[in-house]
Amino acid sequence: MLKRHYSLAMSVALLMLLFSLLLSLTIGSASLTLADIVRVLFGREGVSPLAETIVWQIRLPRLVCAVLVGAGLAVSGAVLQNASRNPLADPYLFGLMAGAGLGATLVSVVLPPQLISLALGAFAGALFAVALVFAVCAGQRWRKVEITLLAGVAVSFMLSAISSFILYFAEPFAANRVIFWLMGSLSRTDWHSVMLLAPVVVVVLLLALALRRQLDALLLSDESARTLGVNTLRLRLVLLLATALLTACIVSQCGGIAFVGLMIPHIVRHFFGVTSARLLLGCAVVGALFMIWVDNLARTLLPQQEIPLGVITSLVGSVFFLLIMRRQRL
Amino acid sequence: MLELSAVCLRFGAKQVLHNISFSLQKGEFVGIIGPNGAGKSSLLRLIQGALSAHSGHILLKQREIGRFTTAELARTLAVVSQTSAPLFALTVEQVATMGLLPHKNWFELNSSYDTAQVALALKKTGLSHKSSDAVDTLSGGEMQRLYIARALVQQPSLLLLDEPTNHLDVQYQHQILQLVKALDIPLLACLHDLNLAAMYCDKLLLLNNGEQVAFGTPAEVLQPQLLQQVFGLPCQIALHPLINKLQVTFIPASTGLAAEQAAC
Repeated sequence: MLKRHYSLAMSVALLMLLFSLLLSLTIGSASLTLADIVRVLFGREGVSPLAETIVWQIRLPRLVCAVLVGAGLAVSGAVLQNASRNPLADPYLFGLMAGAGLGATLVSVVLPPQLISLALGAFAGALFAVALVFAVCAGQRWRKVEITLLAGVAVSFMLSAISSFILYFAEPFAANRVIFWLMGSLSRTDWHSVMLLAPVVVVVLLLALALRRQLDALLLSDESARTLGVNTLRLRLVLLLATALLTACIVSQCGGIAFVGLMIPHIVRHFFGVTSARLLLGCAVVGALFMIWVDNLARTLLPQQEIPLGVITSLVGSVFFLLIMRRQRL
Repeated sequence: MLELSAVCLRFGAKQVLHNISFSLQKGEFVGIIGPNGAGKSSLLRLIQGALSAHSGHILLKQREIGRFTTAELARTLAVVSQTSAPLFALTVEQVATMGLLPHKNWFELNSSYDTAQVALALKKTGLSHKSSDAVDTLSGGEMQRLYIARALVQQPSLLLLDEPTNHLDVQYQHQILQLVKALDIPLLACLHDLNLAAMYCDKLLLLNNGEQVAFGTPAEVLQPQLLQQVFGLPCQIALHPLINKLQVTFIPASTGLAAEQAAC
């Protein structure tokens, strides 16, 4: 990947992101033009209070959350694919989604109502899953990345089985609530979600960029990276923990959004390059772009109804991915 | 440059290396030879800090190897070993650029000097014209040259090579060894081929079952009795008339010449 190709790809992606951000603010049940949006954003006169509320309190926080969630999942996926040397790695690698599902199930079905919020339950569940994987792999086992991956799969199945068992006996309304929540949605996000997600996404992205050379070195082999002065054990632990925390935050705010963390890094590698700096920045922009339009589709495809994000990401993502693979570009 | 004294290595109760002592001076090429399982690669891993000695001292530039941080060690010695192709299609230039890693801070960008260093390393290893090619399109010999280029970018004081000629054809074997010999960096290499070792190395370290059998010039180490004792086959050693280097010919028992040779 030549430097000029990267610059071109990044410029096009950034322009598309800017255009998408503005256009997305006009999409919704209330009719607002691009001119209205610009007036609201830049505090010009002649804007109705309703339009201000719609933009500032409903559409903008949701849009910023879409940017953060898309960027966060794509960056996490890229980091985990490189750090685990596994092209099929995604942010839910360590049973995070299953853990979040169990947390949400316990909160909705088992615990007294209103005791803990669904988001907090899911966050705790996701962290519990990661802690379980880390406990299993503590000590020498960290040296083998395959064992970590297998432990993640085992924990994922175990926690999913417990969730399914509880949901099987649960009251249908509560079970449906958990199931729909797990499919992912940005409808519950607000400025509080932004305040939670923004610092975590920025810190993880900066951390990954700071460790970009080490991540590149891991692409060859652990042995090779060690000869370049990389402490592979410590590097993996730091990156796995950071991405797990980021993913747990995302899951707690918008449920499960599959395929973004797996697919976006592979698409970005093709257009932006495979070295970590280009990959990470590309993933942040393309992940955000992808999530903005997925959310737009989710809000507008069916009248008076939102389609779960996870359904669209999986459907759109897999079709796009298969088309590219068919053209042998990946 | 490098000095080992009475170095021992154990894996649990198993003694892998016992009482290894030798030194490598500036400008020297020392070859480690011996049969499979003799401890050659373990010795190399000890020196690169991947394993810790049970006893003895390893001094690199008059400093105990255990006192180096991983980054300091990577700035001082580079390793070329058998390496698999990268997970994703990195280019030749990108792999060579990895050699800058030990010299860079977290957010430091590559300078024009760094770029020139990478270009020079690729030129020295004859890969300039392939700098934009994907690594998975390289031949075995080119791949090995690429890892040597990456090692050069590290600007090491010592270069370690683990079986650098494995799986290469004759032409590439000589090309790689001529290349590293011309680098003006002290070299320590594990080699299987005794004739290549005799041709290129200034000194040889002969190991067997983790024990140091001999250390010295090829003429001192390549003795028929020693080699027969270590490899279990009689051999003939002669000075090659054209290249003026010692050449070893092992005589398998099936040829019928072995008994005759042993009698001599």
